[in-house]
Amino acid sequence: MSIPTLQGLQTALSGLLADQQAIDVTGHNITNANTPGYSRQVAVLQTNDPMRIAALSPTDGEGGQLGTGVSVATYMRIRNTYLDAQYRTQNASLGSATTQANELQQAQSAFDEPSTAGLATQLSAFWSAWGELANMPASEAAKVAVVSSGTQLADTLNQVSAQLQTIEAQAAQQYSAITGSSGEVQSDGSQIAQLNEQIKLSLLARQQPNDLEDRRDLLVDKLSELANVTVTRESDGTDTITFGNAAKPLVEGAKVDWPQVLTSAAGGKLGALLGLSGPEGAIAGYRTALDGVAATLAETVNGLHTSTPFFSGNTAATIAVAVTPSQVQTAEPANPGGNEVARAIAALRGGTAEQGYAALIARIGSDVKSAQSNETNSQAVVTALSEQRQSVSGVSLDEEMTNLVTFQRGYQASARALTSMDEMLDTLINHTGAVGL
Amino acid sequence: MTTRIATDMIVGSTLADINSAQAALERSQRELSSGKSISQPSDNPVGASQAIMLQSALDGLDSYEKSAHDGSAWLKTAGGALSSLNELTQRARELVVQAANGVNSQGDLNDIADEVEQLTEMAKQDADTQYAGQYIFSGTLAGTAPYAQGANDEYHGNSGAIARSVGPGATIDVTVSVKSLLGEGQAAGDGKLLDTLRTIAKNLREGTPEALKALSGHDLEAIEANLSTLGNLQAEVGAATDQITSALNRVEDLQNTTTTQLSNIQDANFAQVSMEFSSQQAAYNAALRAGASIVQESLLEFLH
Repeated sequence: MSIPTLQGLQTALSGLLADQQAIDVTGHNITNANTPGYSRQVAVLQTNDPMRIAALSPTDGEGGQLGTGVSVATYMRIRNTYLDAQYRTQNASLGSATTQANELQQAQSAFDEPSTAGLATQLSAFWSAWGELANMPASEAAKVAVVSSGTQLADTLNQVSAQLQTIEAQAAQQYSAITGSSGEVQSDGSQIAQLNEQIKLSLLARQQPNDLEDRRDLLVDKLSELANVTVTRESDGTDTITFGNAAKPLVEGAKVDWPQVLTSAAGGKLGALLGLSGPEGAIAGYRTALDGVAATLAETVNGLHTSTPFFSGNTAATIAVAVTPSQVQTAEPANPGGNEVARAIAALRGGTAEQGYAALIARIGSDVKSAQSNETNSQAVVTALSEQRQSVSGVSLDEEMTNLVTFQRGYQASARALTSMDEMLDTLINHTGAVGL
Repeated sequence: MTTRIATDMIVGSTLADINSAQAALERSQRELSSGKSISQPSDNPVGASQAIMLQSALDGLDSYEKSAHDGSAWLKTAGGALSSLNELTQRARELVVQAANGVNSQGDLNDIADEVEQLTEMAKQDADTQYAGQYIFSGTLAGTAPYAQGANDEYHGNSGAIARSVGPGATIDVTVSVKSLLGEGQAAGDGKLLDTLRTIAKNLREGTPEALKALSGHDLEAIEANLSTLGNLQAEVGAATDQITSALNRVEDLQNTTTTQLSNIQDANFAQVSMEFSSQQAAYNAALRAGASIVQESLLEFLH
């Protein structure tokens, strides 16, 4: 058996088609060089099944195999799923650390330390006002100053406490917004479920759904910032997603199971928000400590100001000055006009209330500092993993340009081969047997 | 295998480097412009809480300093009043000696009695000395004059103690008991200065030999005793003033050390921060320059 006459044309054509497809893929890569979540694709070229040619060899009569060109076996998506899993774990840590750092930073700002408007300054000014009063115990002006500095101090305590409460409430609101029916979890979960379905159908039709998978992975990446995520690839190509250590999977095939109950162990931004706004959370802890400062202040001052309590209320939110300037007590009842009470109250400076407050500031400061350094570290790890993923999946324009040149030249050469075939056939068809005509 | 570099990676890492260089620069700049190394507690949690206690301690020392100055001025006023009392008591003593020499007519004695009565009123005026609107000799009844002018010699103050806090745990009593010197006049018959002066005036107006004898005997002794009480009071004031001065010195020492401690904690180290600022500036410039030239390079520039 001989070689079919037009086989050469088919072979050259396969080269033209394969190179064209490869150039299409390169073009797809180049246009998506800046698309978030895009994984570069490669047209995997594979030789066609060879043609068996019988009795090719004149010596032993055995046949041979003639190559029939090239075709694109598949469009491969270049992706490392192991790096994806690592990236998502670290992204959850980063989401948690960033949220912690932001919220604690807000709490820190609520205290406004060090500044001339902070509680420390107000507290100090309050003691100084008592010191002034001790020098002139009969002075109405000094009594007014004591009451007004006490009122400012109480107001500042009220304000800081209210601000902390607002921060807590806002954290709870953020949590509800993200997990609510129109929140990110619901919408990302639904999109993943839809993509699952499309991917399953594509695979059944023996199509490689590269771009759909990219979009699905990008959505999972987004979810991983919110809480811990695990992904199980099922045999039909769908991904089962567990989210925030919830009891049931968030997405299973085309089904979304949301809302579910999360705890502060959910990880990510949601876990951090639950932890911060909860009754055991850091901010509630600050409020308790601030209440302690207010209670100590009221208790120690009232303990000396025996005629009538100077402060009413024993929490930071409720403390207020309960006396008028004329009720301010400077001395024991037995010693009218004396200054021993004023001096004793002024000597409370540097006492339990102040120490409690200074300790609270140290605690908030170190909480913020460690949250910030957690954030920096997580950010560094996530950046490194992200770079590793980019290194595998990202588009390199230099590489694509090189591919473009390679495939373009391949296409040109195949076209040249086709021309040669054409010229051969021309000789055969149009000029053979025409000798002497 | 070398790492494959995707185009996004170059942009991403350049941007991250520029950002971190800028963040470091911003921090140094904030330190330099505010002059403080702690602008929020997280910059230095322990330092921030120490700064709170130290600042409060410093405010407390300022308060002690004020009280000490106030107490010192109070005592100075008291000292002035006592000196004036001393002068007039000396004058009364001279008048008694002059009257007792027996060559004075009743008219002269009446003139002397007039002067002694004037001295009595002056003594009460001295006792009514005020400092910053407060009667300093009324005990704790600083709003009430200790003595009224006129015949009534009753003491209207009390025996309450007035003190000033002049240092951590240091309290100084600035009460000067003028009652122990002036007493409550003839009605009380206590032998104090007012009683003595009233008795002298009475004896002078009587002018009898017995009265004149009492003048040079009993009355002169009484006035000597009063002078010695006065001397004691002046010594007390002097001692209290010395105490306040040394308390003030201690407070000033504490102010110096506390200010130094506070400055060590919260003030920026300008030399160090300036150096850091310069090197951060250089790093930032380098990151920008490298970014600008690397991001431009691409094979696209060379293919035609």
